[in-house]
Amino acid sequence: MSSQTSTLVAEAEGEPGRPGKRRAGRWRYVGSKVLGSTGALLFVLVFNFFLFRVIPGDPVRTLARNRLVSDEQVDELTRTLGLEEPLPQQFLTYLKNTFTGEFGLSFRYRQPVGDILLDRLWPTLLLVGTSTLLATVIGIYLGMVAAWNRGKVVDHMSTGFSLTLYSMPEWWLGLVLLAVFAVGAGPIPGLFPTGGLHSTDVDPSSFMGGLDTAWHLTLPVITLTLAYLAEYALVMRSSLLDEMGQDYLTTARAKGLRDVYVRRRHAARNALLPTTTLVVLNLGFVVSGAITIETVFSIPGLGLLTTEAMDVPDYPLLQGTFLFFSVAVILANLAANLLYSWLDPRVRT
Amino acid sequence: MLTDSLKRAGVGVAAGPIALAMSAGGVVVSPQASAADPVVFTVGIGNEVDSFNPFLGIEAESYEMWALMYDQLITYSPKDMSPQPGLASDWKTTDGGLTWTFTIRDDVTWSDGKPLSAKDVAFTLNRILDGGPEAATWGSYLASVDTITATNPTTVVLELSEPNSVLPLLPMPILPEHVWSKISEQQVKSYANEEDVVGTGPFRLVEGTAGGSIYRFEVNPDYWGGRSNLDEIVYTVYKAEDPMVQALVKGEIDFAEDVSPVQLKALEGTEGINTVTGMSPGFDEISFNAGSVDVDTGDPIGNPNPAVLDPDFRYALGFAIDRDQLVERVYQGAGDPADTIIPPAYSAYHWDPPDDVAFSYDPGRAGDLLDDAGYTMGDDGLRTMPDGSPIGTLRLLARGDSKTSLDTMKYFEEWLADIGIESEVTSMESGKLTNVILEGEFDAFQWGWYVEPDPDSMLSYMTCDQLGSWSDSWYCNEEYDRLYREQHRELDESARAETVQQMQEILFRDSPYLVTVYNNIGEAYRCDRFEGFVPQPDPGGILLFQYGVRSYLEMYPVNECGQSEAAAEEAGATGAGDDGGIGAGALVGVGVAALVIVGGIGGLVFYRRATADQRA
Repeated sequence: MSSQTSTLVAEAEGEPGRPGKRRAGRWRYVGSKVLGSTGALLFVLVFNFFLFRVIPGDPVRTLARNRLVSDEQVDELTRTLGLEEPLPQQFLTYLKNTFTGEFGLSFRYRQPVGDILLDRLWPTLLLVGTSTLLATVIGIYLGMVAAWNRGKVVDHMSTGFSLTLYSMPEWWLGLVLLAVFAVGAGPIPGLFPTGGLHSTDVDPSSFMGGLDTAWHLTLPVITLTLAYLAEYALVMRSSLLDEMGQDYLTTARAKGLRDVYVRRRHAARNALLPTTTLVVLNLGFVVSGAITIETVFSIPGLGLLTTEAMDVPDYPLLQGTFLFFSVAVILANLAANLLYSWLDPRVRT
Repeated sequence: MLTDSLKRAGVGVAAGPIALAMSAGGVVVSPQASAADPVVFTVGIGNEVDSFNPFLGIEAESYEMWALMYDQLITYSPKDMSPQPGLASDWKTTDGGLTWTFTIRDDVTWSDGKPLSAKDVAFTLNRILDGGPEAATWGSYLASVDTITATNPTTVVLELSEPNSVLPLLPMPILPEHVWSKISEQQVKSYANEEDVVGTGPFRLVEGTAGGSIYRFEVNPDYWGGRSNLDEIVYTVYKAEDPMVQALVKGEIDFAEDVSPVQLKALEGTEGINTVTGMSPGFDEISFNAGSVDVDTGDPIGNPNPAVLDPDFRYALGFAIDRDQLVERVYQGAGDPADTIIPPAYSAYHWDPPDDVAFSYDPGRAGDLLDDAGYTMGDDGLRTMPDGSPIGTLRLLARGDSKTSLDTMKYFEEWLADIGIESEVTSMESGKLTNVILEGEFDAFQWGWYVEPDPDSMLSYMTCDQLGSWSDSWYCNEEYDRLYREQHRELDESARAETVQQMQEILFRDSPYLVTVYNNIGEAYRCDRFEGFVPQPDPGGILLFQYGVRSYLEMYPVNECGQSEAAAEEAGATGAGDDGGIGAGALVGVGVAALVIVGGIGGLVFYRRATADQRA
């Protein structure tokens, strides 16, 4: 509501007769958004370092517990992990490394954090990316149909269906699907594997490997798609309902356009705006993975990586993942802002 | 690995669509497996390997993989984990324990064909002795060792500054000098050791990365200890237990490691599956604050309740704990009532408390002992300090990340209330608890330890030297420390065992720890595919993830549960399950997915065209 009034005010001040000023306004808008995002990024960069050091727990003690370890060995481990330096020095090293694209060695895996992130990025992108895409397309369509047939059986069915899935815990849905379609129940044979990303005897980079991975990902992707679906369907439904009372639809109908084109080319276009924001913002969260589904289906993704890094706590790995997630969300946010201004000129200036 | 799967893909294409579907489903072994098919043993595990580099990893999974890839000088017997010949076929000690001479086998070759010699052994040990990252994991096993030399190709001599009874135990994997000498101390910190690994072990790593979810090993056909009956071992990481158990039922895996009691019960009676609850050498305990002090000044720090500083008070509470109920209710039966810090699995060192002092659930006796020690019952139904002041509320800390920890302390709180002592349970994250323990801001907490085959390290955690370091009970007793040093220098096995038992007796009477439960680990396997596992300890032990790799060497494929090795061989068993349905399933699955995608694209194209028409 408040955003609507502010755009109205902006428009009143915008002096529509002078295009030159308008363009300057657009650049100012882009500039301010980029600047804001950069500020957020810098804040995250600093915050990142201290955030994880506040977590209770000493990585050296975690890594050394339950073994025959002398005090000299503990010192040795502390030195190996670079934790013997004073905190300000560690912070400077962290800043220097981050700006040169070095994220250090993971305490737990003793591998460069960048390599580990890359390793885990693909499964996450495949799983959450595909699901988000499917959920968006199917959700928007469902929302459209529901709004257009408001109050009818189709509406009740699709809204009820999405709400049920929305309120269901993802991991539970995953476990049910797993029990039915991976293990088999009654007449249903176990069609899909119980977990993992690929079979042991197939080269994942070959064509067969691709098929094999698709086969492994079918159930988790279906689970996530079902879980994400409702968000899009409900937002799309309500924003389309808002549009349906508008005069321009009456005009379109008066022109003699068929109902389906009125819906698709006029109403849906305008109603897509809030959904677009939602989609673009959610794209930023794609990389953070889906911890519960990664757990149920044993998919080595970024979500799991992060939760497990907490146990140590594995500072370099946590810093790397947190920075990566933040950058993704900030970029998505920026993209949403810019895209929105392009889709809806009213928000510029 | 690449050529292998290419070859398989090629065969699949040649044999037509069915074979294609089979390989898509990841099924190599057809239902009518012929003798030429490899025997693949698939194990479901719950945690990733953190490093294949033996100088870096700490997870149990990593230790298991190193043991497959490399050999150790000394291994552990399946029976009671006592030292047994490994790469060292023999050893002797002279000069009153100051010189140890190991005879190295001369029939061992590295996987790249070069022979193993005493120089490799000396190289590996020296690398650890020199300090640096290598010492962080293994250094303590070389305590008081001055020099390590290979005097000839089959002899390694260790010179010590003072006797160390932990020897001959040297559990570090022996690495090839011709490979590792090229890796500097700096490089070793991040050396992954995942490609072209050169080892002497019974298996070789062919696929897998630290933190990955699949690890594949191939048999070493020339293993000096005899070739395993398996051709391949595959480990698959399951991050949730339920899917892992489902995979076992379905037959995707042959063995499930670390299965919870609830799941194990559900699996009992399932055809073709055997369940095992094995003794694991670890214990859980309730630890008291036996006197937190500043390590430098010796002044008390923290604020322990004066009552828990009194050994008589702590010992009396040992009778207030119903260990049977803990095992039954909190551990769901996966454990045994416990008494001392050296588990009975180590039968040579474990001290069995005699009946008159041993703990049993007896609140009456606990009350009597407290009365005797002066903690008499007040008018308000609460016990008081010997001087008549109130005891106050004991602060019991539990680890929020462990359900058994919290439940144990909840029960303890109730049992304390029964004998007139007030207490309150607080749950916190284990990292936080570590800090609180070091600050001494507690009265009691719940935790546990794994105990290595040599009791030295476990015993050392209770010495005064460890205050502010690994000691978490702040216990310090001169007599105990004297005995600790004595057993550490004692070379006679039985004399040492006697001292170790005496130390447990002291701990038992002083009760800085009230040991509650010895842990068990649940395992389940397809007995219609593999048999012949060797439990450790034998009997009653776990089947895999032991000290050593005996099970992998002894186990063999079968066609039915309980089949003997000879009968299985006659029947041509290959350990392959009836996986025929999965290939077809994969075909259907991929087909459905393809249909959805093609349908989607088709719909999109149609949609676009329709719009274009309308525009025109």
